Amino acid sequence: MKREDGLLTKKFDKLLIVNRGEIAVRILRACHELGIKTVAVYSDADRNAPHVRFADEAYYIGPPPARESYLRVDKLLDVAKRSGAQAVHPGYGFLAERAEFAQACVDAGLVFVGPSAQAIKIMGDKQEARETVKAAGVPIVPGTEPGLNEAEMQAAADRMGYPVLVKAVAGGGGKGMRPVHRSEDLQDAIAAARREALSAFGDDVVYLEKMITDARHIEIQLLADSHGNTVYLGERECSLQRRHQKLIEEAPSFVVDEDLRQRMGAVAVAAAKAVDYVNAGTIEFLLDKDKNFYFLEMNTRLQVEHPVTELVTGIDIAQEQLRIARGRRLRFAQKDIQIRGWAIECRINAEDPYNNYLPSTGVISTMRLPTGPGVRVDTGVFRGYEITPYYDSMISKLICYGETRGEAVLRMRRALEEYRITGVKTNIPFHQHMMDSHRFLTGNFDTKFVEDRFSMSDRAADQDMEAAVLATLMAHHQSLQAGQRIAAVGAGSEKGSAWKWYNRWERLRR
Amino acid sequence: MKYYTKVNDKEYIIEVGQDNEISVNDERYAIDFRRVAEGGMVSLLLNHRSLEAVVDERDDHWEVLTDGELYTVFVQDERAYRLAQARGTGLDMGHEAGVKAPMPGLIIRVLVEVGDTVERNEKVVILESMKMENELRSPREGVVTAVRVTPGASVEKDQILILISDLEE
Repeated sequence: MKREDGLLTKKFDKLLIVNRGEIAVRILRACHELGIKTVAVYSDADRNAPHVRFADEAYYIGPPPARESYLRVDKLLDVAKRSGAQAVHPGYGFLAERAEFAQACVDAGLVFVGPSAQAIKIMGDKQEARETVKAAGVPIVPGTEPGLNEAEMQAAADRMGYPVLVKAVAGGGGKGMRPVHRSEDLQDAIAAARREALSAFGDDVVYLEKMITDARHIEIQLLADSHGNTVYLGERECSLQRRHQKLIEEAPSFVVDEDLRQRMGAVAVAAAKAVDYVNAGTIEFLLDKDKNFYFLEMNTRLQVEHPVTELVTGIDIAQEQLRIARGRRLRFAQKDIQIRGWAIECRINAEDPYNNYLPSTGVISTMRLPTGPGVRVDTGVFRGYEITPYYDSMISKLICYGETRGEAVLRMRRALEEYRITGVKTNIPFHQHMMDSHRFLTGNFDTKFVEDRFSMSDRAADQDMEAAVLATLMAHHQSLQAGQRIAAVGAGSEKGSAWKWYNRWERLRR
Repeated sequence: MKYYTKVNDKEYIIEVGQDNEISVNDERYAIDFRRVAEGGMVSLLLNHRSLEAVVDERDDHWEVLTDGELYTVFVQDERAYRLAQARGTGLDMGHEAGVKAPMPGLIIRVLVEVGDTVERNEKVVILESMKMENELRSPREGVVTAVRVTPGASVEKDQILILISDLEE
């Protein structure tokens, strides 16, 4: 069925996933569970990746840089045609919030698993989004219109008062965004934001927004079908961020009570309805210390942190996305949605928390994932996988569930300890340190906590002696082994020597 | 066998004996050390304390991952240690430190010039990689003796970008 705003919904039984990594795997799983056939795409860097191996079919689309592969609309639509897929799931990132892509899918007769191109376009333009939701009665943060020149922005910021945020109109995920605390720093920040936005999105238009201090980042997950039903699945607390990249998310939030949840939920539903929104989406809010909340933006796609909501509501959001795209009605109403228990997600990134969180590249030489009660790991990497600068540095998402927040934290601590990954540095020690921190345990943090008041330097890596012993024993065994190998070669090719060697090897290995 | 092992600026003298026994700085421990078939992992019972770790060999050091923490460990046997002592370097890294590119990328800005004095952890280079602007910081305090890149340059992983020497001399 094609709606007036261009949204296409119909039954499909073969889906093309134009993404990679853990999110491609997540969507593949939902498809397998629903009996939908799957088509994956891959660049040169991803031939061995799980999303290729898990899919029913896979097609090569080009070199590793995304603009030559995962962003090539022509190649992707060609794969849809060749494979006979009737629908396309964009995942997150890449083409997920490009209105032209959603439109191109519909024009090719393909169901786009997401909202209409028109809704993406409105919500993707920060300014238009603000105006649209404001008209629907949604509270917004004060700010300027985009397209002002440097001098006009200086005047506006000086009038508004500091701190202010410089934001790229086309921005997202913290790219093209800069906080400014003093009038004299504004021009540098504008230049940096423009540069970053130009290279990331090909558009350097920026605007200013008043910065709400001591704010929490709280977002509301929505599901909307194509028959006019929209529900909210409660909130996620995403305040723990660094440079606007979320690091830890949880559901529910420590500070949101049932009354606030209902109010935020109702506003979020109104914002979505203002653009006739269909499918899964998220409204991001800033919540200040007096519990006032302001619309930040809408993410018109599945989000990285959707699993915490899945765990506390029991609703499989990826599956629901597919049902909605097939034109089905939601099977539940608002009153059916209950929040039960607590879920926390830690994003495991290839970066060094002891060295300014610098990304770390390399080949994963060991990987053992945590398992056991209440633990879920969503990942797209494996042993032998190379972390390259082409794609983002997230290795996996570790999600833990508990009846209470305390129980979820204890599970997370246990799971982080079980996690073994070498070859690249990871931010696991950061998460461990956070799970031990008093501020986290008491829920006393805001969006600036990680950057301004959280330090790794007071974390004592206190197993120096043990590490020394382990490395020394390994070195010792290796030199013994090398000695034996020489001895075995020297002993010639008698029949017994192979067995002797095997025995020694067995002894070492046991 | 006697080993000189260094972790986080702490040095341990470790003697590995014959009968599942070691001494660490003259303190004795009963050990049972096994390699586990599962990808590069080892299990150590140290006076019955059960430790599990991944131990990986790198160019000139070992990486030990245990309980989520990654340790960089330098191990020298007696011979290597004596040789290094004779050369007068020991485990010392020398008087000049380089700021290396931790990953391939594009140089956005160079914030220092030759002759500048820098603090430890001072921002010196902005490198764009993984779709982010990353701040590279000085590993030590000192004076900049060489700047080997300019903005706009593409760099490889581990390429030395800037050299920093002792303040005096």
